[in-house]
Amino acid sequence: MLFSSITFLYYFLPILLLVYFITPSKGKNIVLLAFSLFFYFYGEPTYIWILILSVVFNYYTGKLLEKMIHTKKATWLLIFALIINFGLLFYFKYTNFMIRNLNHIFSSNIPLIHVIMPIGISFFTFQTVGYIIDVYKGKVAASKNLLSFATYVTLFPQLVAGPIVRYQTVEKELSSRNHSYENFSKGVSRFIIGLSKKVLLANLLGEFCKRLIGLSAPTILSTWLHAIATTLQIYFDFSGYSDMAIGLGLFFGFHFLENFNYPLIASSITDFWRRWHISLSSWLKDYIYIPLGGSRVIKWKWVRNIIIVWFCTGFWHGAEWNFILWGLYFAVLLLIEKIFLKSFLEHHKVISHIYTILLVLISFVIFNGDGMNMIGNEIAHLFGFGNLELYNHETLYYMRSYGVLLILAILAATPIFTHFVQKIKENKWMIWLEPIYYVILLLVCTAFLIDASFNPFLYFRF
Amino acid sequence: MKEKIITFSFIIVICGFFLLNLLVTDKTVSWSERRSYQKFPNITWEQIQNKGAMDDFDKYALDQFVLRDSFRSLKAHVVFNVLKQLDNNQIFVKDNMIFKSEYPNNDTSIQNFIKKIMKVKNQYLKNNKVYYSIIPDKNYYLEDSTYLYLDYDALYKMVMDGFSDMEYIELRDVLSLSDYYRTDTHWRQEKLDKVVNRLGSKMNFTIDVTYTEKKYSPFYGVYYGQSALQLKPDDLVYLENEELNQVIVENYEKEDILYNTDKLGSMDSYDVFLSGSTPLVTITNPNQTNGKELIIFRDSYSSSLAPLLITAYSKITLIDLRYMTTKVMENLVTFENQDVLILYSTMLINNSSTIKD
Repeated sequence: MLFSSITFLYYFLPILLLVYFITPSKGKNIVLLAFSLFFYFYGEPTYIWILILSVVFNYYTGKLLEKMIHTKKATWLLIFALIINFGLLFYFKYTNFMIRNLNHIFSSNIPLIHVIMPIGISFFTFQTVGYIIDVYKGKVAASKNLLSFATYVTLFPQLVAGPIVRYQTVEKELSSRNHSYENFSKGVSRFIIGLSKKVLLANLLGEFCKRLIGLSAPTILSTWLHAIATTLQIYFDFSGYSDMAIGLGLFFGFHFLENFNYPLIASSITDFWRRWHISLSSWLKDYIYIPLGGSRVIKWKWVRNIIIVWFCTGFWHGAEWNFILWGLYFAVLLLIEKIFLKSFLEHHKVISHIYTILLVLISFVIFNGDGMNMIGNEIAHLFGFGNLELYNHETLYYMRSYGVLLILAILAATPIFTHFVQKIKENKWMIWLEPIYYVILLLVCTAFLIDASFNPFLYFRF
Repeated sequence: MKEKIITFSFIIVICGFFLLNLLVTDKTVSWSERRSYQKFPNITWEQIQNKGAMDDFDKYALDQFVLRDSFRSLKAHVVFNVLKQLDNNQIFVKDNMIFKSEYPNNDTSIQNFIKKIMKVKNQYLKNNKVYYSIIPDKNYYLEDSTYLYLDYDALYKMVMDGFSDMEYIELRDVLSLSDYYRTDTHWRQEKLDKVVNRLGSKMNFTIDVTYTEKKYSPFYGVYYGQSALQLKPDDLVYLENEELNQVIVENYEKEDILYNTDKLGSMDSYDVFLSGSTPLVTITNPNQTNGKELIIFRDSYSSSLAPLLITAYSKITLIDLRYMTTKVMENLVTFENQDVLILYSTMLINNSSTIKD
């Protein structure tokens, strides 16, 4: 079930809110668990058992690890748990990729397996693995309540497309949380802003991209527009989903950490990754980069650590070579930046922003590419190779048709609107204007959903 | 205070629509979108396991949402007036006239059209005098370079090259934008006198009769519902006279009537002409004794044209190959020495996959 669907907005959510708020505090987790399982089952009826298995296995593993803490048995148990968790992820997500590559290298004919990747497996695997590592290290106490732990893993706002919520972030709120108008209204604001990012910006940018791809004769201008629109689409799609998840969490008294912080205004690639998909990059930093030694090792090991982490970042996004290339592209950029460019970028603000956005645009051409040839062609076209016209009537038509959207999207990718809202927030009229604004946005989003033909969540495939 | 207003306004909107959706009776068809609505899904364990029930419920929730047409209209207004997009689902409005963007040329489709018609010609029309013409869609006459159009010259050239051994009748210069409905794709019957005269001058007939105009209003054309905008509807005029009242119509699938007035006010009022889509219709004119017959291979544009040609013929046969294979056709129609007119619109030629073999 998509958050940006009529089924979710006008059937699932009203029923859940009604049942949740009339249920006494003791039963609220049961309500959330039941509705979260239904939410998952609605989108993934076949593989719900994997989610349940993951919950039960990791709950008891956590308890055992706590009992064995600081013993060799604990290490063996941790390794076993990692194999089980990553094994499932590997089986569903990467087996066919491996088979395809083996067949290619050895000219063999190993048949592909017939599996569909369970929705959200990349997200809930990382959450549970993070949890058992933290229990193993003694950073968090193992959960004493299966219901509470199951609620944490399956909590529907973050279950299928993140953000990757750490157990310690919501540990206290799982047993006792505050429900207030302040929380709920902040949640409404966050949810509707996220919904608008998804429905009014990402979906329309997706439509724009689709039209640009379908041009009878692509041009240099259309290739640039496509790269810009794709980058904005992916950003608004995923950050919109994260906003909705954070907003929904607030409805029920949970405070998830931020996942995006205006990444497209970053002044370096390092800065970009501090602002983009923060929950994933911090997970990889804490559970892979730091345990490998981070930057406090000799230089070649540091280079190795960077490459491993960014290989994992790319590979996490999908079992295709373009994702691996995308991750390694950032590894190379980060190494160059840290070794050669750091001081220069710090002292040249305008150049640093142009440098960053240009490299990020190219990264999303790789990310979105369908095969190495297409990626190569697309990048070549950006820079005028490939005998393309600079522009044509068709490109200008779509640029004009989607021009206002593009400008709005570019502005919305910066903090300009947020600063403006902060400035007028204390105005006495805002007591009415702000709620009216949210209702109008909700109704406009509903209108676009009712008349929609384009509504997939890009990050569902991860 | 503000927190409470935000909280309750959100809850009122989502719970209000939830309750309304439960209480309001489901509709079976959409008149504006001219399609059936999704019914409440059949929920079986098998349907749940294969996700069919969920997918159907999502469609049901979308289709049966209360005030669906008003929401579609809101979306269209935001698209045109806020986002300033040039089209909404390929529909655009210019000077209160609704257009559908048809772009770009589909050369495969044009070739397919030529191939299928040539097959019919070579197989069945060896003894007939065959004429052909192409009806330009109304975008052809829109003098605004902003929008995307077919490359009409290329399309016409391809067809003319493909049909080189048939006699071409040019219609582009006898039509204009005002000859088409504002809210529909079709031409207006009462504006076809120049088309009739041009066909007559090439096919050797003269028609000089007067008609009485019968008007139906409001006529909401096919683009009206698609646009989701509240524009002024059209008037639909159909032409009658004593001779037309006496023609005998035989419709292979639908009512045997020239003007089916029961269709006025139906989902598509244009179906008043020969009852709408049908594979085969014959119109016999007992007042014309010249023995001349005409066969028209056609799309829906000819439904309103044929009544204006019948004065010159004893019999007109209309064949729509979208609804009938040539195998069926050869059992129902005898080809002798009739005049044959192949008359299709640019829109159909560019989307010819519907023409059967």
